[in-house]
Amino acid sequence: MEDFIVFSVRYLHVICGIMWIGILWYFNFVQIPSMPKIPDEQKPAISKVIAPEALFWFRWGAAGTVLFGLILAAMNGYMHEAMTFQQPDIGFGMWLGLIMAFNVWFIIWPAQKIALGIVEADADAKPAAGRRAMLFSRTNTMLSIPMLYSMISVQNPPGL
Amino acid sequence: MSKILESLPLTVVAGIVLTVIMVFATNQLESMNQSGPEKAISDLQKKMN
Repeated sequence: MEDFIVFSVRYLHVICGIMWIGILWYFNFVQIPSMPKIPDEQKPAISKVIAPEALFWFRWGAAGTVLFGLILAAMNGYMHEAMTFQQPDIGFGMWLGLIMAFNVWFIIWPAQKIALGIVEADADAKPAAGRRAMLFSRTNTMLSIPMLYSMISVQNPPGL
Repeated sequence: MSKILESLPLTVVAGIVLTVIMVFATNQLESMNQSGPEKAISDLQKKMN
């Protein structure tokens, strides 16, 4: 039974992770590069409808990934070893995931609320917030590559 | 750094470079842990002296 609970937590961790990183990559590989090609009159469809909905699943996917990941580490008994790099293979992935989730909740989401007009802000603040959100989203895209390597290689050793 | 992040291909390349660095650092840390942290600290102190 305990094995099944650990499996279920891992399954939820992976489902939330795919939700999070999938939308992160959608933003960076599809939406941001496509925005300049979209006519101005059609842009509100992205900024007013699609982006706010995507951001909802994006940030809660990040929260779920971290929550179930930490529960998994605690249940398997490697939380302390990983976070103190006594088990660096998973430790790097966990730290990168935590940094990325921090970026989502405390930098990207507040900046996107300003950029998309979800909260009141000066007109001058919108472009700056949009740029800040884009740069930190790109930072997370960069960090997602080693983070996923770490997460996958622990379960499937690459033989290096 | 922002020049790299403004370019999607450079962002991906930077991610791959970070991955290589992380793999190297992981191997170094694991070999240190396998030989005992106290021994590693002692070796480091000897080098510093």
